[in-house]
Amino acid sequence: MKNAEFVDRLSLTEMGENRCGTVAQIEGDSRFISRIVSIGLTPGSAFTLLKNDKRSPVLVFCRDTVIAVNHKESSQIFVKVES
Amino acid sequence: MSEIKTIALLGQPNSGKSTFFNNLTGLHQRVGNWPGKTVEQAEGEFVFDETTYKVIDLPGSYGLSANSEEEVVTRDYIQSGKADLVCILVDASQLERSLYMLADFVGIRMPVMLVLNMMDVAEAAGKKIDVAAIEKRLGVPVLGFSAAETERYPEFFKKMVSAIKTPVCLDSGSLREELVSGGELGEKTDDIISRIEAALGDFEYGVCERIWIAEKLLEKDKLICGVVRESLPFARKNAIDAILDSEEGRDGGILTGEAKYRWVSKIVRESATPKSIENVFSKWDRIATHHIKGKFLAFGIMVVSLIACMILAFPGMGIGFGMQPVLQSLVERAGNALGVWPVVISFINLVLVGGTCITICMTSFIFAIIFVFRILEEIGYMARFSYAFDNWLSRLGLQGKAIMPLFSGIGCTAGAVCGTRVLDTRGQRLLALVLLWAIPCGSKVAVVLFLASTFFGSAAPLFGIGYVALIFASFYLSSRLFGKKLVPQNERVGMIMELPPYHKPHWKMIAAMVGRSTWGIFKKALKMILMVAALFWALSYAGDGNVENTLLYKIGNAIEPVTMFFGMRWELFVSYLGGMFSKEASLGIMSTLFNHTGEAFSLVTRVAASENLGEALASTISKPEALAFLFASMFNVPCVLAMGTTYREAGSFKWLATIMGYYLALSLGLAFIGYHIGLLIF
Ligand SMILES: Nc1nc2c(ncn2[C@@H]2O[C@H](COP(=O)(O)OP(=O)(O)OP(=O)(O)O)[C@@H](O)[C@H]2O)c(=O)[nH]1
Ligand SMILES: [Mg+2]
Repeated sequence: MKNAEFVDRLSLTEMGENRCGTVAQIEGDSRFISRIVSIGLTPGSAFTLLKNDKRSPVLVFCRDTVIAVNHKESSQIFVKVES
Repeated sequence: MSEIKTIALLGQPNSGKSTFFNNLTGLHQRVGNWPGKTVEQAEGEFVFDETTYKVIDLPGSYGLSANSEEEVVTRDYIQSGKADLVCILVDASQLERSLYMLADFVGIRMPVMLVLNMMDVAEAAGKKIDVAAIEKRLGVPVLGFSAAETERYPEFFKKMVSAIKTPVCLDSGSLREELVSGGELGEKTDDIISRIEAALGDFEYGVCERIWIAEKLLEKDKLICGVVRESLPFARKNAIDAILDSEEGRDGGILTGEAKYRWVSKIVRESATPKSIENVFSKWDRIATHHIKGKFLAFGIMVVSLIACMILAFPGMGIGFGMQPVLQSLVERAGNALGVWPVVISFINLVLVGGTCITICMTSFIFAIIFVFRILEEIGYMARFSYAFDNWLSRLGLQGKAIMPLFSGIGCTAGAVCGTRVLDTRGQRLLALVLLWAIPCGSKVAVVLFLASTFFGSAAPLFGIGYVALIFASFYLSSRLFGKKLVPQNERVGMIMELPPYHKPHWKMIAAMVGRSTWGIFKKALKMILMVAALFWALSYAGDGNVENTLLYKIGNAIEPVTMFFGMRWELFVSYLGGMFSKEASLGIMSTLFNHTGEAFSLVTRVAASENLGEALASTISKPEALAFLFASMFNVPCVLAMGTTYREAGSFKWLATIMGYYLALSLGLAFIGYHIGLLIF
């Protein structure tokens, strides 16, 4: 059971393009949290990953908005991917 | 006496506050389709039904927690409680996200009205919104609106008047429920909110209700934490600290953020359809945001824009240049016929006619630049641009968001200097300031393009391309020199930004803005150029007909051995120095010094040969010298105004001096290189 949970714990940067998912957890200092929350990503929010390549920020579509989040910080956002 | 009512415009970045403000007050705040333009609060007025309304345009902020300087301005204003009505603007085409501001406003005891702006964009994207349902749910006035469409303003006035007459605040009850319940995620808050509220007792702070203070305490908001620490008695303070500490491991900011979005979702789900995803990320966007193609596209757009500027400027330049010989010979003939002194004729021709003609030439470039870049900005391409360059900029120590103040430097360097406030850390701001000085303002582009077309004719577009490339190269150099020190690796914060949907350009608004700016710049430039031209005319006017005897020429000839080292004869060098004062001054100086032939009477022959400044320049200055001067002008320091603003924003004279020294060295160094390469090829 523990293991299954661990597999679920995928970071945003590890997710495939054009997949849908839900934010599970966000880690980071309060400044980062405040920025990312106020732009619309919170645990529980459903999103579609539009673009994920190593050389540019991750692009997600969430709450009617296309949001760009830089790579390093995206790896602090953990997601559940819809199959 | 009629009373004055104050209306504050609050909303997330890019929700249309300044567009609204401009249309209400007739003022001209900066607008454009990218987040973070307004960084200072602006005030204006309008009169409706014999009442004067004062309108406050606030910098955009995602919520009421301030993370960067311009957001502090907004937050401070709201907390001052000065407004009679707060108009919260949200972008209807991105309803769910932009309503977060409203959720963060719950618990602020001030009368509000919600304006769902950009209804036209939302409708075009296939989004349906039931305004009445939202109004019913919130219990405050709600208006579906389009700030860009003037026909819709009467609806706003009606709603606004009644909102001021019977003021209503948002009720915090429903949000409180969300905060307490913990939501579907099952992450029980064990009612931490109520515990903090209980510990706060009857403490309130200005317009902020207890629930709002409790939220901000959980979010570790610096200001509120400070206020509470200062004003609560010791025991209660400790109680609060204990509650907050017991939350170790769970982030309060996430807890409240989630609750606020849950509150928003409930409103939105019942009253609006979501935007369809096909509309969101087009094929074009895939290219624009690609890490290689996107950069090529951006580079291509820059170059095409510059070339478009030259083409658009062509007619104006023809008029300016064409007028000069005609007018000058007219003045000459009329003057001689009336027996006017040669000194007067010389003054009229060299200062007034010459200055006006060159101002017309320059303004035609300015017009083209403003027009082309205005369209780029309004469409919404800027945000893609900054996205495509994010990885590159983060290697330099900045982040993609910095592109936008940098890019707006093309409008005016001084304005863009303030625009750097959207960056989060001071180091990044200073680095952005350094890079910004390399971005030519409209006047500088005009001077450079003007010189390039004069000296190199049809090869001028090459200079456009070369210039863009050189600017990028200078970025690299600057970050090498300043980056490490200003933005240490561990202080680098990356990009978190929304890409706004594309907008159709509003041609009427664009035309009005371009016309107004061009006219304003023309007037300013004319004044400056005439003043400088008059000054230099006086300095170089020789009563005895021998210009070599004037003090200016003596000094000029004395310094020439040094200035020629950089490939600039003294006249050009003086123009270069004038360019530090203002770009227009540079042209003013050239226009007199090169039209000055020495003997006042030779004017007749020159006018007969229908020589204008362009021809005079091209015939006296060799190509290598022109190249040197072009390079020097490209990287010359910006005008005095921009230097003053840089000093203010950087907050230290040392920084201003450092940046100045750097650009002086850079421009003169390039001039030197350009001159010597020019000697080899021409
Ligand atoms: N189609 C449409 N475009 C609009 C409307 N209102 C504003 N815009 C455009 O939206 C963009 C953003 O408007 P601004 O007024 O600059 O937004 P702001 O809220 O002041 O933004 P910041 O100062 O960055 O916080 C501009 O390109 C406007 O032309 C509208 O009702 N309809
Ligand atoms: Mg604005």
